[in-house]
Amino acid sequence: MFYREAGQYKTSYAADMAVFPIRQDRIGLAVILFTAFVLIPAFGNQFFLSSVMIPTLVFALAAIGLNILTGYTGLISLGTAAFMGVGAYACYKLTTWFPGVNIIVWIIASGFVSAFVGAMFGLPSLRIKGFYLVVATLAAQFFLQWCFGRIPWLVNYNTSGAIEAPERFLFGIPITGANATPESRYLVVLGVVALMTWFASNLVHGRVGRAWMAVRDMDIAAELMGIRLLTTKLLAFAVSSFYCGVSGALMVFLWYGSAEPEVFVINQSFLILFMVIIGGLGSLVGSFMGAALIYMLPIVLRLLPAALGVPIAAATVEHLQFIIVGVLIIVFLIAEPHGLARLWQTGKQKLRIWPFPY
Amino acid sequence: MNLLYALFVDPWVQMGQAPDLLVQTLWEGLVSGVLYALIALGFVLIFKASGVFNFAQGIMVVFAALTLVGFYEMGVPAFLALALAVGVMFLLAVTVERVVLRPLVNQPDIILFMATFGITYVLIGLGELIFGGNPKRMITEQLYLPKGAVEFKILGGFVSLQKIDIAAAIIAAIMIAVLAFFFQKTRIGRALRAVADSHKAALSVGISLNQIWAIVWFTAGIVALVTGIMWGARSEVSFALQVIALKALPVLILGGFTSVPGAIVGGLIIGIGEKLGEFYWGPLVGGGIESWLAYFIALAFLLFRPQGLFGEKIIERI
Amino acid sequence: MRAPGSDKGVAAGDVLLAVDNVSLNFGGVKAITDVSFDIRKGEIRAIIGPNGAGKTSMLNVINGFYHPQQGRITYRGETRQKMRPYVAASQGISRTFQNVALFKGMSTLDNIMAGRTLKMRGSFFWQLFRHGPAMREEIEHRKVVEEIIDFLEIQAIRKTPVGKLPYGLQKRVELGRALAMEPDLLLLDEPMAGMNLEEKEDMSRFIIDVNNQYGTTIALIEHDIGVVMDLSDRIVVLEYGRKIADGTPDQVKSDQTVIDAYLGVPH
Repeated sequence: MFYREAGQYKTSYAADMAVFPIRQDRIGLAVILFTAFVLIPAFGNQFFLSSVMIPTLVFALAAIGLNILTGYTGLISLGTAAFMGVGAYACYKLTTWFPGVNIIVWIIASGFVSAFVGAMFGLPSLRIKGFYLVVATLAAQFFLQWCFGRIPWLVNYNTSGAIEAPERFLFGIPITGANATPESRYLVVLGVVALMTWFASNLVHGRVGRAWMAVRDMDIAAELMGIRLLTTKLLAFAVSSFYCGVSGALMVFLWYGSAEPEVFVINQSFLILFMVIIGGLGSLVGSFMGAALIYMLPIVLRLLPAALGVPIAAATVEHLQFIIVGVLIIVFLIAEPHGLARLWQTGKQKLRIWPFPY
Repeated sequence: MNLLYALFVDPWVQMGQAPDLLVQTLWEGLVSGVLYALIALGFVLIFKASGVFNFAQGIMVVFAALTLVGFYEMGVPAFLALALAVGVMFLLAVTVERVVLRPLVNQPDIILFMATFGITYVLIGLGELIFGGNPKRMITEQLYLPKGAVEFKILGGFVSLQKIDIAAAIIAAIMIAVLAFFFQKTRIGRALRAVADSHKAALSVGISLNQIWAIVWFTAGIVALVTGIMWGARSEVSFALQVIALKALPVLILGGFTSVPGAIVGGLIIGIGEKLGEFYWGPLVGGGIESWLAYFIALAFLLFRPQGLFGEKIIERI
Repeated sequence: MRAPGSDKGVAAGDVLLAVDNVSLNFGGVKAITDVSFDIRKGEIRAIIGPNGAGKTSMLNVINGFYHPQQGRITYRGETRQKMRPYVAASQGISRTFQNVALFKGMSTLDNIMAGRTLKMRGSFFWQLFRHGPAMREEIEHRKVVEEIIDFLEIQAIRKTPVGKLPYGLQKRVELGRALAMEPDLLLLDEPMAGMNLEEKEDMSRFIIDVNNQYGTTIALIEHDIGVVMDLSDRIVVLEYGRKIADGTPDQVKSDQTVIDAYLGVPH
C-alpha cells in the first residue's frame, strides 16, 4: 500500500539509471543510514556495538569482496581469509613503521597490498577456469597462512607470533588499541564500510560491473565482444582482494585488537563463502544479510536455550551450529538459489501489487 | 650464489649421499599419495556420474571412519561395526540423493558445489554430536590389519616400511581393480558411464538417474570408508583430517576430474613431490611447506597442461 | 549509430575481408580444408552447406577464436597475425551465435550496453563515483543503446533478464548486442534457427535494414535456403570443410555440385 511507484515518472536516463529509482527505496535507505550512523551509536550498548554490529559490518565487507569475485565475476575463491590476513599484516607493518601517519590511510593502503597479492594469485585464471581455479585460491590460502606463521618479520619478531593493534588516533580520539570506545570504533568501521559499499555499488552498475558479469555468464562471447578476459578477471581479483584486505585490517585493528595466524584459516574462508551464498550471489544487499545471518546465528543459538531455560552444553551448541548452517545452506540452495537478496526482492514485488496476487 | 646452491644443487647432493633416506622419503610420499589418490577416486566417481564437484568427499572419509570406531566403542564387535558403517554410508548416499541432489537437478554446477559444502557441515556437526569431537584410535588389530614395521637393508642403510602402509597399498590396488571391473563389465557400470556422458540421453533410454546417483554416492562412501580405515590406522580419526583431505583437489587437477588412472597417478605425484619437497627443500625456508606445496605443484602443471595429465585437449566451441 | 560510408579506406564494393587457402584441423579431424573466398564491403554474404560442413568453424576463424593451421586472413588489406579474439572485436568484427550466447543473468539493456564496452573509455576512478565523466559517458551510450532497442522493437523487454525471454526475442537481443559494437563486419550464425515464419520475416527485415541503413557488411550462415536466396548478394557453399561453389544466388542454385550435395547423387 505504501510501496507504490505509480506516478513516479523518470524524465531522464540518469533518473532511470539510478541505483534506487523508486522513491520509497530512497527513503528506506535514508532511514537505514540514519539508524546506523545516529540511533545505534546513541542508544546501542557495549555488547551490541562491539559484538554484533562491528563484526557484522567487517564480515559484510569481506562478503562484498568475495561477492565481487564469485557472485559478479563467477570465479570461486576459497582464499578469502588469507587475503584478509594480508590486509591485517600489511596494516600492522605499515603502522608500526610509520606510526605518525593516520591509521585510516594505512588501512586503505593495506587494501592495495592485498589487491596486489590477490591479482598475483589471480594470474593463473587466464589459463584455468572453473573449479580448477579453486586450487589457485587454495594455494593462496595455505601459502599465505604459512607465511603469517613462519615469517617473523611480519610480526616484528614478536615472540608470541601474534600482531597487536597499537593505539592510534583519528581527530584526537583513540580508535584502535585498548582505550578506544566501542562507539568510536563502530563509527569508523561503519564509515569505511558504507563508503566502500557505495563504491562497489557504483562499480557493479557501470561498465566494469557489466564486463565482470559478462565474463561470468558467457566468457567466450564476452571475449568475442572485445572484453579482455585476463584484464577483467585480474581487476575482479584485485578489487575483491582490496575489499577483503581492508576488512581484515578492520577486523584486527577495530574489532579483535590482536590476531594470530589461526584467525585467517580456511574455515574463515568457508564462513564468508556461506555468507555470500545465503545472502545471494551477485547482490550487495545480500552480502550484508548473509553476514548478519551467519555471524549472528551462533550468538542466537548460544543465547536462545538459556533464555528458554533449556540447558544445553556449549559443545553441543557448537555441533548443532554446524548442522544448522549446513542444513540452511542446502535449504537455501533448493528453495532460493539466489539467496536472501532474492527473497527480499520477491517480498518487495509482492508489496508493490498488494493486495492483488498479480 | 649460496642461495642458488642451496636451492638447486644441495638437495640433489643430499639425495645422492644418502640413498636410503631418499628411498624412505619416496616410500612415505608413495603412501600418502595412495591415500590422496583414494580420496580423489571417490571424488572422480561422483563427478563422472553426476557432474557434482563433491567437496564433502574428504569429510565422508572422516565420517565413515568415525562411524566405524564409534560403533566399536559402543560395544559392537569390530566386523559388525564395519557392516554397520557400510550401512550408514548407504543411508547417507540415499539421503543425499533424495534430499540434496534430486531437488537440485539441472541447477548450475556452482550451486551443486555449494550444496556439498552444506553436506560437509552437516556431516561435521552430526559426527561430532554423535561420536564426540575427540580424536579416536582406529581399531586396527580388531580388523586384523597388520601392525609394526619391516626393515630392509639396502643402499648402505635401513629402510623401514610400516606393514599397515603395505596393506593400504595392496587394498587400494584391489579396490581399484574391482571398481574397474564393476564399471567395465556390469550392467550398472554401463548405465553409469552412459549417465556420465549425458544425463538426458541416459534418461531417454530408460536409465534411472536417481538410482545411479544413489549407487555412485554409496560406492564413493565405501571408498571413503576404506580410505578412512587406512588413514586412521596411520594417525588417528579426527576432523583435523579435513584439511589434509583438501589435498585431493590438486590431485584431481593433475589427473583430470574424470579420469580414474589420473586420480591415481596424480595422487602419487603429489604425495611423492610434497614429501621430497618438504624433506629436501623445506628446511631452507623453515619447514612446513607441506601445507601448500601440493597446490603449487598442481598449479605449475596446470599452466602447461590445462586439461590435466590424462585429459584430452579441450576444444572450445561456440 | 554511425552513418554509412564513414569507413577507414575501404569503399563499398571493395574486398573487406579475404580468406585465402585456409585449413583448420582439430587433432586429426579436418574442419576446413583449403577454403578461399572474400567478403566485399557492403554486401550480404551467405555461407551455406550441410551440417558439419565447417560453417561455424569458418566464422570462428574469421573472428580470431580459432587459429587456422594454414592459409591467411586479410582484413581491410592487412594480413592478420595470430591474435586473441578481442582484437578482432576492436577492429570492428562482431557476431551472434548459433546457440544464443547472451549474458543470461543480465537484463536486455545491460546485455546491449555490454556491447558498448569497447567504445567506453572512462577511467576506473570515475567509475567508482558514477558521477562526472563516468555518468556522462554512461548516458551517452545509453542513448545509442536506446536507438538500437527502438530499431529492433524490443522496448517492452528492456529491463527483463534475458534468461526469461523466449528464444526468438533472445536472438533479437543478441543481434542488438552485436549492433551495439557498430561493426564493419557483422557475422550472423544461423540468426533464424528455430524460428517460425513470422519471426523469420522480422529477422530478415532487420538484417536488410542494418545492411541498407548503416551499410554494415554481413556474413551469415543460414539453413533456410529460401531466406538465403532472398537476402544475400553472394553465396559460398561448403561441404565437408571444402568449398564447392561460390557466386550469386542464381549461379549457386543452378550449380550441379550444390544440387548433388543437397539432394544427394544417385549411385
